[in-house]
Amino acid sequence: MNSNETPPADPAKELSAECPAPPASADPAASALKTSRRDFLKAGGMLSLSSLMGTGALMAQSEDAHAAAEWAEHFQKNYRLMTPEEKNEARLRLERRHSQEYGKQVTVDITDAQPGMLMGYALNIRKCIGCRRCVHACVAENNQSRGSKPGEKIEWIQVLRMERGEFAKDKMNHGYPEGLGIQVGGNAYTPAGQVLEGQYHYQPEAVPEKDATYMPIACMQCEKPPCVKVCPVRTTYREADGPVVIDYNWCIGCRMCMGACPYWARRINLTSPVLPKEEMNPVTHYLGNRPRMRGVVEKCHWCLQRTRHNRYPACVEVCPVGARKFGNLLDPESEVSKILERKNVFRLKAELNTFPKFFYFYD
Amino acid sequence: MKKLAIYTVILAFCGSAFYAVSAAEQAAAPAEPAKQEAAKEPPVCFESRKGASEVTQREIKPGWPNVKCSPTTGAALWYGDPYEGTVPMGKMPGLEKIPEGHALIKPRSEKLALMPMCGTACHNGVGPQFNPPKLPKDKRPTPIPTMGAMVPDLANFQHGRGRIWCLDCHHTTKRNMLVDHFGDPVSFDQPQLLCGKCHGDKLRDWRDGIHGKRIGEFVSSGKKRWFTCTECHNPHNVQDGERNRGFVQLQPEPSPQLPKGMKDAKHEKLHPIPH
Amino acid sequence: MQQLTSFAADYTRYVLKGGTKFYAWMGSLAVLIIGMMYVFYLQNTEGLIVTGMTSQIHDGLYFANLVFLVGVAAGAVTIVFPAYVYHHEGMHKVTVLGEMLAISAVIMVTMFVFAHMGRPDRLWHMIPLIGIYNFPHSMLGWDVLVLTGYLILNAICGFYYLWVKYTGGEINRKFFMPLVYISIVWALSIHTVTAFLIATMPARPMWFHGMMPIRFIATAFAAGPCLIILAFLIVRRNTKMWVEDSAIDLLSTIVTWCLGIALFLTMSEVVVELYARTEHANGLYYLMFGLHGLTALVPWFWSSIVLMVASFVLFLIPAVRKNYKLLPIPCVMAFAGIWIEKGMGLIVPGFVPTPIGEVTEYYPTFVEWLLTLGIWAFGFFILTILLKGAIGILQGEIKYGAAK
Repeated sequence: MNSNETPPADPAKELSAECPAPPASADPAASALKTSRRDFLKAGGMLSLSSLMGTGALMAQSEDAHAAAEWAEHFQKNYRLMTPEEKNEARLRLERRHSQEYGKQVTVDITDAQPGMLMGYALNIRKCIGCRRCVHACVAENNQSRGSKPGEKIEWIQVLRMERGEFAKDKMNHGYPEGLGIQVGGNAYTPAGQVLEGQYHYQPEAVPEKDATYMPIACMQCEKPPCVKVCPVRTTYREADGPVVIDYNWCIGCRMCMGACPYWARRINLTSPVLPKEEMNPVTHYLGNRPRMRGVVEKCHWCLQRTRHNRYPACVEVCPVGARKFGNLLDPESEVSKILERKNVFRLKAELNTFPKFFYFYD
Repeated sequence: MKKLAIYTVILAFCGSAFYAVSAAEQAAAPAEPAKQEAAKEPPVCFESRKGASEVTQREIKPGWPNVKCSPTTGAALWYGDPYEGTVPMGKMPGLEKIPEGHALIKPRSEKLALMPMCGTACHNGVGPQFNPPKLPKDKRPTPIPTMGAMVPDLANFQHGRGRIWCLDCHHTTKRNMLVDHFGDPVSFDQPQLLCGKCHGDKLRDWRDGIHGKRIGEFVSSGKKRWFTCTECHNPHNVQDGERNRGFVQLQPEPSPQLPKGMKDAKHEKLHPIPH
Repeated sequence: MQQLTSFAADYTRYVLKGGTKFYAWMGSLAVLIIGMMYVFYLQNTEGLIVTGMTSQIHDGLYFANLVFLVGVAAGAVTIVFPAYVYHHEGMHKVTVLGEMLAISAVIMVTMFVFAHMGRPDRLWHMIPLIGIYNFPHSMLGWDVLVLTGYLILNAICGFYYLWVKYTGGEINRKFFMPLVYISIVWALSIHTVTAFLIATMPARPMWFHGMMPIRFIATAFAAGPCLIILAFLIVRRNTKMWVEDSAIDLLSTIVTWCLGIALFLTMSEVVVELYARTEHANGLYYLMFGLHGLTALVPWFWSSIVLMVASFVLFLIPAVRKNYKLLPIPCVMAFAGIWIEKGMGLIVPGFVPTPIGEVTEYYPTFVEWLLTLGIWAFGFFILTILLKGAIGILQGEIKYGAAK
C-alpha cells in the first residue's frame, strides 16, 4: 500500500528527534571533562575524584569506547541522583559503547515519565491460548540473553498451563481422608488449575488444548512493590508513570528483590548476556532494554523505550487473540480504564497487598 | 444448449480461479522447510491466524526490520512498523472522537481470493440469462450449489448453527459486499459493521479496545492499526467446529529453557497432592 | 604509641611461631584458601553461571552458610553472658576466646556475602554517603548494620581486654562493661535480623512465619557452643591454657537445652504445616518427602533430623556429656545437623516451588563447594591466629617488655 510513506511512529526516529544531543557535548570526552570540572568544584570527595578518574580513562583511550565506558560506569551515581547533564553524559557513553559493540547505531533514551500518565495492563485470562508469542516478542524487543547453555537464556514472561481437571464417577471412592473408612465417596475431584502449580514446559502440536487453560505471568508493576522495599541500595524503584525499573549500573546483584517478588518476575544475569549483533534491538531506554551486564537483576518494565513514546509494549502487539491490553489508568477513555469499568477483574495474589497495576479479567 | 455451455464455462472459470488461489494459500502455510532451503528469501510471517494476513520481512533502516518472524512457527513476533500496508478505517459509528487518519486497518479485500472475481465474473449481472431471473426474493435459505462447491466451509456451515444463511451477511446483488440491517452494502474491509448487527456487546468492547487487537500508539487518541473481525475469526466457522472456541489452534512457540540441573520437565505432569 | 607497635610486633611474632603440627594445619588451610581465591576469580569473570544457582533457586550454599555462620557468631554470647551476667568463674577466664570466635565467624559471613553477590565490585554502593543505603526499609541494610556493629564490638571488647592483659594495666570498667552488655544484646540482634531477612517475604511461605527468629536463635545457641566446646577441647589438649571443666559443662548444658528447643520448634512447624497441607506447605513438603517426584533434598533433611535427634539423646546422657573423650561426637553431630537444617534445609526449599509454582532442583557445583570450603578454611585460619594470640597473652607469654 503506502509503503513509501514513512511510518510516523517509527520509535527510532522519534527517539532521535526527541532527545537531540546538544552539539556542544556531542563528543563524550569533552562533555565528560566539563562535568568533571564542575563536579570537582561543587562536591569534592570521592564522587568527583572518581568521575575525574573516569574522565581520564575516557580521554586516554577514546579509541576504545567499551573500556572507557566500563571504567567510567564503575564510578557513576545512582541514576535517580544524576543531574540532567550527568544523565546525558551516561547516555552518550552508552550509545558510543553499544554502537561500537553491536555494529549499528544504538540509541539510549533517557525520556522521563510524562505527567498525567499512569500505565496499566490488563490480560483477558479467558482468551489466552498459550501460544507464547508474547514471551518471544519480549525477548526480541528487550535484548535479553539468549544463549543455549543452561542459565544463558532469559525470558520475562512465563506462561503457565493449568489442567482443567474433572470430576469422574470412577474416582468417587478415592480420596481424603483415606484409609480409616471414616468417609468415602463425594470426592471425585482431580486437581486442576486452581493452584499456581501447572506446567511451564508444555509443548503440544497445537494450542489451545482442550483440557487446559493458560495463565501468563510477568512483572505486575505493583504499587507497593516488595522488591523495591528490600533493595539495599535503592537501585530498583517505581517510576512516576508506573513501571518498577532497575538502574542496572547500580545493582549489586544481591538478589533480595528476587526473593521478595511474589510473582517470580525477576531474573539474574548469571553470566554476560549472550546477545547476537544481528538480533540486538538498537532502540533502547536507560531504564529499559539497554544491554545488561553480568551479575545484575533484570525484569519487565513494560517496554519503557516504547511506552514512553506512546507505543504499545511488544507483547501486546503480537498477542494473536488480543488478550493483552495496555493503557493509561488516568485516562477514562483508555482500554484499561474501560476494562476496569466494565469487566470482572482480579489481581494475582491480591492477599499480599502488593496492589499490582496488572489486572486479569474475563468476559 | 448455448446457455448451458456459457454457464459451464463461467463455472469452470470461477472454480479454477478459486482452486489456484486456495492452492497458493496452502502453499504459504507449510512453507517452513522450504524457507530454510531458500534462506535468502525474505521471511513472510502470518499475523493473527494462519492464512488471514501476512507480512513480508524487510529492513526499514539498518538493524530495524518492519517485522520479526518466528523461526519456529512463522508467526509475526515483533513489529518495527505497525502501520505497514494499512489504510484509514473509514467511518465507524462510535469512533468519531479519534483524529482523522489515526484509525487504520489492513484491507481485507486484498486477501480474499474470490473477491475480485465475485463482482466481475459471476455476479456481474450479465451472466446466464435466468428466466425468470432467479435472485432470491426473500431471505429464506435455498441451496446454492455453485458456491457450496467453491467454499469448503459451506459444506458443514457452522456460523449460526443453521439459524442464518449466506444472504444474512452477503449482499444479495452486490456479492463483493456484505450487507447491513437496512440492506445497504458494507465493505469487506469493515466487517465490524456487519458482525455488530448480532454481536453488539462484542462490537462495543472492540470499539473500546477491550475485545480484539490494536497495535501502534496506546494512548486513546493515538494512531493505531485495528485488527478487524475477520483477521482473527473465520466468519463461516467462528467457533472452529466442535472445539467451540473463537480462535483456531496454532503451533506454540518453543518452551522456556530448562534451568541448570534439570534434565526434563516430566515432573510437571505429576500432581503434588495425593487425593 | 610505642606500646601499640610493640603489641603488634609481639603478637605477630608469637602467632607466627609454632610446631610442625601448627604449620601443617595452617599450610593445609592455606591450600584451600588458594583454591578458594581461584574459584572466586572464576566466579567473578565467568559469572554466577559456574555455580548451581539459577533464576529459580538464586540463593544457595553461600547464603546458607552466611545464615548459619551468623548463628555461630551469635553463639559466642553463650560464653559472654554467663561470664559477665552470672559471673561464672570458668567462663570468665575464656571469654576472650568466645569473642575471637565471633570475630572470625563474622569475617566468614562477610566473605560469604562477597561470594553471594552478583557484583561484589559494586558493594560500595551500600556504603552510606558515597553510596545509597536503603535504611530503614531494607532488611539487608539492617543485617549489614548489625553485623558490622557486632564485629566492631567484639574486636573492641576482645582486643581491649587482651591489650590490658598485655600491658598489665587495669580494665576501665566504666568503658568496658557497657560495651559488654551491649554486645550481649547485639548478639541476639544479629541472628534475629538475619531471621527477619528471610522471614519478611510473604512471597516465600516456607519462611514467612513469626517463629523464624526464635528458631534461628535456638539453633544458633546450639551450634555455636558446639563449635566452642570443640575449640576448648583442642585448646586444652594442645596448649598450655586450661579451660575449666565447669565452662565446658555449662556449654554442653546450654547446647542440650537449645537443641531440645530447636527440635521442638521443628516439630511444631511440621505439625502445623502438614496437618492442613495447604499450598504454602509445598516447600516443607519438598524438603521432607519431595515434590512432583523431585527429591534432591530429602536425604539432607532426614540426615539432619537423625543427627540432631541422636546428638540430643547423647547430650541428655550425663555419661556422655561429662566424658570429654565422647563429648566431641555429639558436638560434631549437632553442628553438622544444624548446618544442614539451616543451610540446605532452610534456604533451598524456600525457592521450591517458585512463587508461581515452578518446581526445580538445586545441585551445588564444585566451584561452590570449593569456595565454601575455602571460606571456612579462611575462617579457621583467622580463628587459629586469633586464639593463639589470645592464649599467648592470657598465659602471659606475650607481655609488654618481655621480649626485650
